[in-house]
Amino acid sequence: MTQVQPDRAPGATPRTAAGDGAPPVDAPRQIDALSEPFTPGAPSNPPELADFPETLAGPVPPPREDPRTAAFVEQWRNASYNCFSSGHKFCREVCPVTQVERNESWTPTAFHANVIAMERGELDIADIAADYVNCTQCGACELRCPNTLFTGDFYRFRTRTVDVVKAVRSLAVESGVHQPNWQIWNERTDLRTHEPVLGETPVGQESVRDWAEGLDIPVGGETVLFVDCEAAFYRTSVPRAVAQVLQMAGYEFGLMGEQWCCGGPAAEMGYAEQAQRFARHNLDNWRATGTRRVLVLDPHDYISFTEDYPKYFGEEFDIEVVLVIEVLAQLLREGRLTPSVPVDRAITYHDPCRLNKRKGIWQEPRELLRAIPGLRFEDVDRVTQWSYCSGGGGGLPIEKPELTRKISALRLERAAELDVDTLVSACPWSERPLSEAGDAEDIDVVDLHELFAQSLGISVGGSRGDVGDRRLAQERTGVPGRARRTRGSSGGCGGGGCGSGSGCGCGGH
Amino acid sequence: MRTDEQPGGPAATAPYRFAEQHTPPAPLRVSEVAQTTFEHVYEVDPRLMQTHVLQQVFPNWDTLRIMRSRHDHLEWMHRHFAGRVVTGSALLAEVEAELEAGAAEPGATDPQADGPAAGPIGGPAGS
Repeated sequence: MTQVQPDRAPGATPRTAAGDGAPPVDAPRQIDALSEPFTPGAPSNPPELADFPETLAGPVPPPREDPRTAAFVEQWRNASYNCFSSGHKFCREVCPVTQVERNESWTPTAFHANVIAMERGELDIADIAADYVNCTQCGACELRCPNTLFTGDFYRFRTRTVDVVKAVRSLAVESGVHQPNWQIWNERTDLRTHEPVLGETPVGQESVRDWAEGLDIPVGGETVLFVDCEAAFYRTSVPRAVAQVLQMAGYEFGLMGEQWCCGGPAAEMGYAEQAQRFARHNLDNWRATGTRRVLVLDPHDYISFTEDYPKYFGEEFDIEVVLVIEVLAQLLREGRLTPSVPVDRAITYHDPCRLNKRKGIWQEPRELLRAIPGLRFEDVDRVTQWSYCSGGGGGLPIEKPELTRKISALRLERAAELDVDTLVSACPWSERPLSEAGDAEDIDVVDLHELFAQSLGISVGGSRGDVGDRRLAQERTGVPGRARRTRGSSGGCGGGGCGSGSGCGCGGH
Repeated sequence: MRTDEQPGGPAATAPYRFAEQHTPPAPLRVSEVAQTTFEHVYEVDPRLMQTHVLQQVFPNWDTLRIMRSRHDHLEWMHRHFAGRVVTGSALLAEVEAELEAGAAEPGATDPQADGPAAGPIGGPAGS
């Protein structure tokens, strides 16, 4: 992103004795943007307006002495004033953190105002770094902001809260201000080349392809499937579902030769150097195996590969990035995949933030869901879901798991109001906190790819995580305690686990 | 190229390719300070943003996302809050018709001025 070097005011703007900025009484009248509004730069303007006096901008404070802070405020002052000077605050009611905390220091507005205060020397990074933990980087605020939604594309200048938050976190890390859990997380990631998603159980290169056991997937090739750390080590049912569906359709793909974490989480938490080092490795590894196309099943990876990597590498980044959901929707349209096994569930769909808000991808997931027979689909539209979030992004569950729990509980409360028994997501990182919250509401959290594979008659295998596996086992053994919502259901065993795997439509689940 | 022949832009899920994303359609001038690229996308003449605030790097997907989200949002607002939705072109046509009718009547008043002639265009918005 390009930011302009602001004009340094050569001197104070002439002001009246009253200090109200109005021209002195005896001064010759000048046409300016306040006295007679006009469109600066319009060719039809009178010649005297070609170089109109600046009366709006105040003097810029002297640069901060600390070079890091000086460079930071120089880069982000315009983006921050874009928020600070308008103050619409439509962001508040779509912000997942603001909705559950109501802490004025943790709002998108505050995140921008702090930058202004830093420029004026009123705050230092150590004063505010901890506040910036309270963001999932879901992108709701910057999309709902009128400066994006109504003028962003016109001016090619939009609100960039996510980038500001990442930049502040990066400044903190570079300044030696760490959040303890993020520091440990990223040290372990650096050591093992993958995020420590299994806690004390080690993860690493030797086990990153374990999820694919028995699926006979080659390594390398023109198209590779990139599997994020959470899915590769924790929710392994997701990549297994994706791989088997692609194989069923005859879609050729391989796995990475030596896959490291995409680096996105490190970038989100402020460990920018580490993030770029990991990205470099992955790009070099794709080149080494002749890879031209990367399939992505995780929305967070999709952000990394379509936003972070292009910033790191520019034109050098000539890898095609394809979201698996798009591939599946295309295969569905072409008739190469036809879901035929009824799935007796009452579902609603959770739009992953990084697909819906940050990428505008909401159509294809619904296309896949509507192709699955047997579902009762209680849809919540994409705009309403701008204010929904799992709380699982931006490193929040690592540093403040209690806040993630509040946000995911709110999401499940909203699902429960629809009288559904299943919340479908399409983001492995959302599914752990949502599953835990869903357990309290007696609602299953299932991945879209898992559900689609089931409707194609595939026995997915793998793990749905601790909660998901336990609930699945209870369904299979018919343990009482969870009630299938039956409103609008077409009958069947009610999903309590008939064990037959046929006829009733529960698929034995 | 006419404005109604502009490309609609790829789907949000279209494969990401760096070169494509950083090559917008050739701009078409629509006023002395604005241009258009994709269908429904209007942009300030970039020469007017070279002094105080420089433009950001906008890949095509982001431009299209904002434009489409705006349409989604407005549709959502209409669905939730509007009793009746009137297009801008219909409003302008009403204004022009009233002006023409007013010009034909002796002693016609300015419809923008205060007084009995002022009021909502096209009547109440409905319930």
